[in-house]
Amino acid sequence: MTGTISTRDDAAVDSFDRRGFLQRSGAAGLLYAFSIVAPVRGARAAGPSQPIGAFVRIGADENVTILVGVSEMGQGIASGIAQVVAEELMVDWSRVSVETVNAGTTYGNPFLRGTQGTFGSLSMRGYFAPMRKAGATVREMLRAAAAQAMNAPLSSLIAANGRVSSASGTMTYGQLAALAAQQTPMDKPPLLGTGRYVGVSLPRTDIPAKTTGAAIFGLDVRLPGMLYAAVVNSPVFGGTVSGALPPTPSGSVAVVGLDTAVAVIARDTYTAFRAAQSLAVKWQLPAGASGVSTASVLTQAQDLMATGEVQTAETVGVAQGTIVAAGTPLDRTYSFPYLAHACMEVLNCTALVTSTSCTIWAPTQAQTSTAATAARLTGLPASAITVNTTLLGGGLGRKIEQDFISQAIRIAQTVPGTPVKLTWSREQDFGADQYRSAALVRARASVDAVGNVSWWTRLVAPSYAYQHGGSTGIDFIAIAGATGLPYAFAGKLVEYVRHPAAVPVGSWRAIGCSINTFVAETMVDEIAAAAGSDPLAFRQKLLADNPRALAVVNAAASLANWTTPPAAGRARGLAFCFSDNAYVAMVVELSQPTAGSLRIFTVSCAVDVGMAVNPDSVIAQIEGGVVHGLSAALWGEVPISNGRASVRNFNNYRMVRMRDMPTINVRLIDGNPNSLGGAGEISVPPVAPAIANAVARLTGQRLRSLPLLRALTGGGTSSGSTSGTAGSGSGSGSSGSTNRSDSRGTGDRSERGEDD
Amino acid sequence: MLTLKVNGKSYTVDAPDSTPLLWVLRDHIGLTGTKYGCGIEVCGACTVLVDGEAEKSCDMEAREAVGKNITTIEGLSPDGSHPVQKAWVAEQVPQCGFCQSGMIMSAVSLLRRKPNPTDSDIDSGVNNLCVCGTYQRVRAAIHRAAKG
Repeated sequence: MTGTISTRDDAAVDSFDRRGFLQRSGAAGLLYAFSIVAPVRGARAAGPSQPIGAFVRIGADENVTILVGVSEMGQGIASGIAQVVAEELMVDWSRVSVETVNAGTTYGNPFLRGTQGTFGSLSMRGYFAPMRKAGATVREMLRAAAAQAMNAPLSSLIAANGRVSSASGTMTYGQLAALAAQQTPMDKPPLLGTGRYVGVSLPRTDIPAKTTGAAIFGLDVRLPGMLYAAVVNSPVFGGTVSGALPPTPSGSVAVVGLDTAVAVIARDTYTAFRAAQSLAVKWQLPAGASGVSTASVLTQAQDLMATGEVQTAETVGVAQGTIVAAGTPLDRTYSFPYLAHACMEVLNCTALVTSTSCTIWAPTQAQTSTAATAARLTGLPASAITVNTTLLGGGLGRKIEQDFISQAIRIAQTVPGTPVKLTWSREQDFGADQYRSAALVRARASVDAVGNVSWWTRLVAPSYAYQHGGSTGIDFIAIAGATGLPYAFAGKLVEYVRHPAAVPVGSWRAIGCSINTFVAETMVDEIAAAAGSDPLAFRQKLLADNPRALAVVNAAASLANWTTPPAAGRARGLAFCFSDNAYVAMVVELSQPTAGSLRIFTVSCAVDVGMAVNPDSVIAQIEGGVVHGLSAALWGEVPISNGRASVRNFNNYRMVRMRDMPTINVRLIDGNPNSLGGAGEISVPPVAPAIANAVARLTGQRLRSLPLLRALTGGGTSSGSTSGTAGSGSGSGSSGSTNRSDSRGTGDRSERGEDD
Repeated sequence: MLTLKVNGKSYTVDAPDSTPLLWVLRDHIGLTGTKYGCGIEVCGACTVLVDGEAEKSCDMEAREAVGKNITTIEGLSPDGSHPVQKAWVAEQVPQCGFCQSGMIMSAVSLLRRKPNPTDSDIDSGVNNLCVCGTYQRVRAAIHRAAKG
C-alpha cells in the first residue's frame, strides 16, 4: 500500500524531525541516543553497531536495530513502527530488531506534544510520518556515503535489500554505516512508499522471544547484587501510615515507610512478600473513608444526577439546555461499576540510586513522566536519570501511573548503590489499583414521525483529570464516546457532572468510551424499536452521510448474516463505535441456555482504521479488545466496601477463559488509505451494548447496568450456571472479603477455587 | 540447601525448602521465563512440567520438586524449535506475552495426553488466563502443532 499519510499536526512532526536529526545528528547527539540502552539480561548482544541518527543502528553483521519511543505491551506497536522505518530504509525484515529506548525528547510522540508515552491509541498516528521520514533519511545518508566511498554519482546509486549498488559495484549497509553517520541528513528525503512492508502482515519481531522465555518484562529484570522489595499499600483508600513503622521482620533487610504504604526489602521476592504480609501497620484514615462502598458511591451519584453542577459538553442543533422532544422521550438510567486493570504482569519497578545517578528499569507506558518522577524524588538533573523500558506484561492504562515508580525509587534511595526490584503482589495490584471509574448516566431520547432523533445524556462520573491534579472542568476522558457521535441527530445535548468519589480512578482500555458507548448503542436500539425500525436499518439512516461508518455497520451485518434469522433460541445484537479516528461495528450472536446465563457464539467485527500498517496486528488487537470487552461486560466489577476494593485476586475477578471463547471474525475495511486510526482500544466499547441488544431481542429484557450477568439476574450476586460459555459467573458480591490477607504473600487459600 | 533438577541440569540453591518452586526458579536459579501471575494457582502463568505433567509452580513447595524432572519454558527446546513454539510463532499468538510461557507449557502437556485434541479437549485442558485475549490463536496453534 502506498500513498502519503496526512497528519493533523505537521508542525509537531517537523519539530520531531528536527529533534530527531538536526539537533542530534552531531557526534554528541549520536552518542546521546545510544549510551543508555538497557543492560538487561537477554537483550540482543550488542556487537559493533553504528548509530546513524537517533533511530537506526546498523551492525557490521548487517543486522539493523530500529529504535522506537513506544512501549510494547502486546499491541505489536514497536514492530509496527519498525515496519514503517524498514520500508523506507530498504532493508530485509529478517535483519530487523527493535528496541524501546530510554526516555528522552528525541523519541517523543508528536501527538503527545513530544512527550514519550504509549496510550490513547496514538502511537501509529503520532509516529507514522516522522518515523517514515527517519527511515528515508537514513537511507539517503547511506546512499550519500556510498557515493563518497565508491566515487560514484549519487543518481547512479540504488538502495535495496541492505545494500547500495551501482553499475560498478555494491556496498553493504554494514560497510557504509560509519561513513553514513557523518553525512548531513536531508531536509526532505524522498519517500519511496514501495508497499513492501507498510500494509503487510509481517511477523512481529517480539514474538519469538515470547515463546522461549527469553523476553524480558519488568518483573524479569535481574541485576548483580540486587535486593527485592514488596509493599503493603493502605488497605483503605486515602490512608496513610500512622506512628512508628513496624520492626523489620526476621530474615528481611529493612522496612521503609512510604506515607501511603510500607515496604519491606529482602533477599528474594517471596521473602519480601511474606514479610510484607506479616507487617502490623497502623493506618490513619481520612474522615469517613471506611464508610465508602458501592452503595454509597451510587447514592452520591444519584444525588449529583439530580442536583450536581452540570457542565455542557456538547450541543448539536438545539439551544443549550433544551431538547426538541417530539412525542414522549424514552428516559433511561444506566450504571457502571469500577473495573480493575488486572494486567497479567503485576506492577513492578527496579531502581538503582546513587548520589549522582538514578537508573530505572520499568514496564512503563510513560517514560517522560517516569523521568520527571525520578528527578523530583532525587533532585538529580535530567542528565543523571536513565529510564529503561522493559517489555510490559499488559499495560491497559495502569502503567501510565507513577505510584509504583515512586515507591521503587524511594525504596532504592534507602540503599544507595544497590538495585532494588519492587514487586506488588497480585493482591496489592487489585487492592491499590486506580480503577476504571464507576458512572451513572441518564439518557433521554426520542424519534419523531419523520425520523428526527432528539438526544440528551447526562454523565455523572469521577474526573480522571481532576484526580490527577487537573481542573474541575469537563473531563474529556470521562466524556469520550458521549460526544462526537457520528449519528445525524437532529438535536443533542451532552452534560457532565463531576463526581468526587473517594475511590482512585485511572485510565483503562477505552476508558470513557467503554461507558458512554454502552449508553449510546443500547439507547439507539431502544429508539429504533420505539420507531418500529430494525436496528441495522435505523443506524443506516442515521449514518447515511458518513460513508466509513456506514460501511463498517454494513460489513459487520453482512459478516453476521444479519438479514438471515439466527437459529431458534438465538439472537443477534449490533453495536457501533467511532473512536481514535477508527470505526468499528460488531454483531454478537448469543443464547440464554438457562436463567441468568448467556452463551456467546460469535462476535463479528468490521473495522476501519484507515490504513493498517500491519493488518494481522490490527486483527489481533481487535480480537483482544473483544475478549477484554467480554470479560468486562459479563463479569467485570470491583465492589467497594468499608473503603476498600473487595477484589483481591483472579479467583474473584472473573475473566474470559478458553472455554468461554466465542468465534471472533474480523473484517478489515480500508475506508481511507490516507487516514490512520488507533486499533488498540476501539473493539472494547461495542461488546457490552451488542450483548445487551441481543439479550433484548432474545428475551425483551433491557439490561442497563454492568456487569450484564448480574443485571440479568436482577442484581445481587450472579451465581454460576451450566453453560459452556459465559455462564459461570463468579461475582464475589459486594460483601465480605474486606479482611483478606495476603496469605503466603500471594493470596489467601480460603478464597480460591471459585473459578477453577 | 536444596537441589533441584531443572531442564536437565542440577541446581543447588540456598532457599528455604518451603519456598514455592516458582520463586526458586525465578529468583534463585534465574530462570525468569516462568511467570508470577496470581500466586494461588488460578491463572496458570507459572505452569511448568514436573515429570512431564503440567503443574502450577506458584503453590508447589520446592521440596516437593526435589528428585523430579522439572521443565521450564527455557528447557522446552534449545532454540525455540519445539513444535508448539513453532506453531505459536506461525499463528502469531502472543500479544504482551506474559502468560504465554505457562500457556505453552499447558499446551505441551495437553498434547502429550491428547496428541490430536478436539476443541473441547482444549477448552478443558488449557485453562490459563490470558488478559490480552489470545485464546482463539492459542487454539489454532495447538491444532497446528498437533498436525505437526
